[in-house]
Amino acid sequence: MKELQELARTLLSSGTVKVVFGWEEGPRGARPAFITDAANAGRLVFDHRCSHTLATYLSPRRPHMTRLGKAAIVVKGCDARAVAGLLREAQVKREDVVIIGVRCGGVAADPADAGPLTAENVAERCPGCTAREPHLADHMVGETKPEPPGAPTRDARIAELDAMSAPERWAFWQAELARCIRCNACREVCPMCFCERCVADKTQPQWLESSPHPRGNFAWHVTRALHQAGRCADCGECARACPAGIPLGLLNRKIAGIVADRFDYRATDDPSVPAPIGAFSVSDRQEFIL
Amino acid sequence: MIAKTITAEELGALVADLVSAGTRVIAPARAADGKVDYRAITRFEEAAIGAELPRRSLKEFFLPPTEPLFSWHQGKGDVTVKPVAVSFPPHVVLGARPCDAAAVEILDRVMGWDYRDELWFGRREATTIVSVACPGVDGSCFCTATGGGPDSKRGSDLMMVPVDGGYLVEAVTPKGQAFVGAHAARFVDAADAGTTAAAEAFRTGVRSRVAEHLTLSLPALRRWLEGSFDHELWRAIVLRCHGCGACASVCPTCHCFDIVDEPEGVRAGTRRRNWDTCQTARFTVHASGHNPRADQNARFRQRVLHKFSIYPGRFGEVLCTGCGRCARACPGGMDLPEVLKTITALVGTGASREAAV
Amino acid sequence: MAIPAEKIEAFEPRITAFVCNWCTYTGADLAGTSRSQMDPNVRIIRLPCTGRIDPLFIVKAFERGADGVIVSGCHPADCHYTSGNYHARRRFAIFNELLGFLGVEPERLTFSWVSASEGQKWREVVNDATARVRRLGPFEAFRALVGRSE
Repeated sequence: MKELQELARTLLSSGTVKVVFGWEEGPRGARPAFITDAANAGRLVFDHRCSHTLATYLSPRRPHMTRLGKAAIVVKGCDARAVAGLLREAQVKREDVVIIGVRCGGVAADPADAGPLTAENVAERCPGCTAREPHLADHMVGETKPEPPGAPTRDARIAELDAMSAPERWAFWQAELARCIRCNACREVCPMCFCERCVADKTQPQWLESSPHPRGNFAWHVTRALHQAGRCADCGECARACPAGIPLGLLNRKIAGIVADRFDYRATDDPSVPAPIGAFSVSDRQEFIL
Repeated sequence: MIAKTITAEELGALVADLVSAGTRVIAPARAADGKVDYRAITRFEEAAIGAELPRRSLKEFFLPPTEPLFSWHQGKGDVTVKPVAVSFPPHVVLGARPCDAAAVEILDRVMGWDYRDELWFGRREATTIVSVACPGVDGSCFCTATGGGPDSKRGSDLMMVPVDGGYLVEAVTPKGQAFVGAHAARFVDAADAGTTAAAEAFRTGVRSRVAEHLTLSLPALRRWLEGSFDHELWRAIVLRCHGCGACASVCPTCHCFDIVDEPEGVRAGTRRRNWDTCQTARFTVHASGHNPRADQNARFRQRVLHKFSIYPGRFGEVLCTGCGRCARACPGGMDLPEVLKTITALVGTGASREAAV
Repeated sequence: MAIPAEKIEAFEPRITAFVCNWCTYTGADLAGTSRSQMDPNVRIIRLPCTGRIDPLFIVKAFERGADGVIVSGCHPADCHYTSGNYHARRRFAIFNELLGFLGVEPERLTFSWVSASEGQKWREVVNDATARVRRLGPFEAFRALVGRSE
């Protein structure tokens, strides 16, 4: 990825930024890289194994990151939505980050997957993606790639669930959530879960039971899904990080659909579009209210 | 001890015997998303032994993710405390990976150290572990480097090695011996020389392949760790860590837990212990708000120290069986085998503050 | 899970209502002082505004044994704090659908705008919610979410 490496080299040696967030070769495929020395810019890669969203590393709650100094961050279209979310919610100042957009043709669900990219191994958010060239960018690198392989599967799966009776849906979700061990990986990798004190960690009173039993798990996942409503960038990190394989992508996609339908809002990499939560319209639908 | 063999068919019948006798059989099996997890099975056909490494380890069958310790009920002027059972119905783990079986025995040390954990040992006593020699997984395995191996018998009651049509079986412990005895009809005495040789070749082959991934001098590693608390390595390698704790959740030897009191209504409740991890920010937060491990560098360092310095210091062995799950599960690309390799290189260059012995 | 008919018939729903102080609470009070007859199954929790109601309260109510929940406040444009109910409307629009997606029967949840003068409307909301939850039966599915007994 010569263009990207060259750009990183320039940004670092000119002192424009102190660190470039990108991807590099790791022992198990691609992995996040933090280049502070222009001489190491050659480590940067971009290919279908770059599934990770780097936006989480911009969080001001990571002192060992912020002390590196001003960052340039490489973003795919989905990552740009996450960065836009951080900008929109004033977690990062626009002038404090340099954004390098990269043209994307889809990524694998598993960064260790050498490929090629097929309908079977592609990340679930990629097929049908309309954000393959980020708008939120100071620089743009990479050639235009072909469309990701495969067809979107989540909406069909959601429609299947919607068509079930309530008890059937309950049984489905209880079976999935039963595997949750409350490791909180979903929260820690999420770019938009940046609360200094998560409601799940409050002990006075203990609003959410921390135990990984079905009751505690239900409360946790309902709360996190709701707190992500209108904010989730659909970067896919939560589902990828979950060591129990819970289909969080389905839950977040469902809520995105509700928000799109009711408030005409879709996740966007334009930080000037206001978030739907925290805002309201006097003509919001209220058919569910007596 | 006389080796035995068992055909795949007889093994299936053995599982049926166990299930109908009320024994809970746990084996690697496919989940809804196609990945393999250890879980209870009722028929041998459900098992996926020797396929992908199960996503999580065996520890949850001895230390569940959440476990009641006792429950209480408040009456008019008194409180009754109801303890939980500490004896358990019989369980058999079929198809345990040697790295997972060994881990359970390593954890016996801390579980029986200053306090005998009745729940842990109750489950241990009720469970027979039948391991199957591992065909290897991928480049992240490093079981041989931690003193174990893909055919290590540590922690197993029975060890089975895959051969044509079935398994070569060896009883490792008296419990394993008793198990074979109780189901004697399923096993065939003494394998022929060809089968034994094939089994040996399988084991040696996997062993040498895995050994290529990483070689460690555990004592040198420990010495380096003890002298390098403030080494810049900890700042350099931790940047990609999210502090999510996925590593600890899939790890066969991580065992930290939190204790919570959960009210159920006003008058009753349950005290539970839940899995916890030193990788989260709040693991060491004090009531004052001070956090001695205030950033991820300190927290990751702690994990490596605990596994390769503190635990060996106390119990004489590392708190790691080289299964590689942490590297596979990490969403940020942290890689413990790589970290250990880096430290080994530093040890080689004498880059610790301790004088060479 | 099928609940036997006799059990449903003998069952008295337990409903928790989260209501705003200025409109619905006053409306409910009016229903009371007017000696309105209504089902006695509702326990009211008073909050300053529907905008203060965290959807987590609803989950908590179910955890603590509620079979149904009512959330009620001022009509749009009448909020004592100007816009609290607009925020609540958005939040609960999503939450309502989210709970439904996870398999909670939608009839267990009731949302309403009841003003300080609408004592009769409160009576109707209460009776309607109670009847719906009575038809559904106790929220056994939630009760069954006890800890793993491993």
